[in-house]
Amino acid sequence: MNGLMLVARREILTQIRTRAFVIGLLVTAVLVGALTYAPKLFDRPDTYALGTVDSEQLPLQAAAPEAEFEWRSFPDEAAARAAVLAGDVDAVLVDGTKVLTDGELDGELGLLLQSVNREVRLGAAGVSIPPLQVESVGADARYQSARTGIAVVLVIVLFMLLLGQAMMVAMGVVEEKGSRIVEILLSTLRPWQLLGGKIIGLGVLGLINMVTILAVGLGAASVSGLAEDFPPGIAGLVTAVLVWFVLGYAFFATLAAAFASLVSRQEELGSVTTPLTMVIMATYFVAFYATNEPTGTLATVMSYVPPFSSMVMPVRMAATEVPLWQAGASMAGMVVAVVAVLAFGAKVYERAVLRTGARVKLGEVLRAT
Amino acid sequence: MLEISELRKRFGGGPDAPGGKVALDGVSFAVRPGELFGFVGANGAGKTTTMRIVMGVLQADSGTVTWQGRPLARDDRQRFGYMPEERGLYQKMRVAEQVEYFGRLHGMSAVAARKATDDLLERLGVAERRNDTVQALSLGNQQRVQLAVALVHDPQVLVLDEPFSGLDPIAVDALAAALQERCRGGVPVIFSSHQLELVERLCDSVGIVAAGRMVATGAVDDLRAAEGDTLRVVVRDPAPGWADGLPGTVTVTGARHILRTTDGDDQEILRRAVKAGHVEHFGVERPTLTEIFKEAVA
Repeated sequence: MNGLMLVARREILTQIRTRAFVIGLLVTAVLVGALTYAPKLFDRPDTYALGTVDSEQLPLQAAAPEAEFEWRSFPDEAAARAAVLAGDVDAVLVDGTKVLTDGELDGELGLLLQSVNREVRLGAAGVSIPPLQVESVGADARYQSARTGIAVVLVIVLFMLLLGQAMMVAMGVVEEKGSRIVEILLSTLRPWQLLGGKIIGLGVLGLINMVTILAVGLGAASVSGLAEDFPPGIAGLVTAVLVWFVLGYAFFATLAAAFASLVSRQEELGSVTTPLTMVIMATYFVAFYATNEPTGTLATVMSYVPPFSSMVMPVRMAATEVPLWQAGASMAGMVVAVVAVLAFGAKVYERAVLRTGARVKLGEVLRAT
Repeated sequence: MLEISELRKRFGGGPDAPGGKVALDGVSFAVRPGELFGFVGANGAGKTTTMRIVMGVLQADSGTVTWQGRPLARDDRQRFGYMPEERGLYQKMRVAEQVEYFGRLHGMSAVAARKATDDLLERLGVAERRNDTVQALSLGNQQRVQLAVALVHDPQVLVLDEPFSGLDPIAVDALAAALQERCRGGVPVIFSSHQLELVERLCDSVGIVAAGRMVATGAVDDLRAAEGDTLRVVVRDPAPGWADGLPGTVTVTGARHILRTTDGDDQEILRRAVKAGHVEHFGVERPTLTEIFKEAVA
């Protein structure tokens, strides 16, 4: 156990002090912050400039709380016409009966003016009409755009971190095998300690990245006010994403280490890890597709199939409501897959990592007794 | 005492696929505490394979390695120091951190590992490079760090594969001194080398391995004595046919005739030589390790 922790500690300390890690972390943080801030910057509320001539201002604000209204009054109609033509105001209400515009009236503003005017007149006549109650019989769609946005960001972050950290593990394995340092290490450590320590160490670094991204994202969202649009249960989602990251990472990193242990040179790494990279890419594409159709058959089915579930299920959880039992079942399936991959990876690694020189064939390793 | 007996190893092939290459065909030898054991042999003779089996990074097909009478276990190897043939260090890790890391992997506490590292880097003359990355060092200095990695945990046995290759004469002396010091401390040291003069100078005993078999093993002096002394006589301008009937071989270089023999009556040979011409040299020579080696692997 001590050996395992020493190896993990070395991985963390070595990486965390490199310029690449620090810069990478800063750049990700800035990017995520900017991404989170952006919608509020570009998504300004509608603002209407309105005027009156011998009229009361209509209570438009109460009818449209999202929009902003600026009112000014003009001494006579001629002044109002000039202001409309100059573009200073969108519309002017004259004598409470007429609206002056330059060309066609903005559709939304027109509807608003007409209905509020009607309401005010009816109210004055002693008639009040209760507003229609809207009830959605489908899924709660209030947060749909926020949910989709979160899902898209999640799938990109998960993909980059899973692929990046798995490749770091692969490069680390080849570094040790290629330089034969593995011979010294394995004369005092057991293979599982070396392999496990490396996976844990680089996993912790991945988690540091993940937590930074989530913290910066949520922080920026609450400062910018974007968080108000977030659906309830964000804390649960964050926890689930961290767990899914750990599971997905354990799966892909172990396979990366096993394949990497077959070769002795970094140049050979690409060819030997291609199948794994393809699986990660495929997982990413399915998950990205699922952000658009989180309730579709593909997303639903794939959210149970390891290792696709490691990205598709968090996407579904972000993009729509997923019953707890479904998330649990999918997670249980992934845990089983991770355990199987760990057993497989440890066996391949142990048998291949000391066989330096030419590329070792996977079949040969598995056949050996 | 470290005892290696009847190690056999075949690469490739297997029970269901006969063939493959025999790397070791029954290698046996023993190294006592405080003994510096030189392991020599041609390339591919089986030195590295033997050392890797001793260090447990390779499994023998059969044969045993025992330490103090017991089969070698993982806990014993924790206290071995090893230098593999192809140097292995983390290129991007700092020197002192790296040596310390290996000390801790061998079970030392953080404090003990740091102290041992400081002492060792000082003694090996790389203390001022302690905070440099390994890749910034010259080959010779990297080799010193490699040795520090093998020595940091005060090993009870040292196994070094070609520790002297690629070193300049000054570095060779520094390394040799470090090994002899460990030996005096009672540590058995096995090292392989192609520099036979060096092995001859340093080692108490040697093992000569050829084609996976130990063809000669023992104290250097014993091997030389066993090979027998050679009488060498150099005569200038001798009468033709002067050596007829004498044992040994005669080689002629210019006016000089050189007679080499391991038996015969030396006084009789001298009398014949004096009669035949001008005797420039008459003496008994012991074979060098190089000669023994060439003889043994021929």
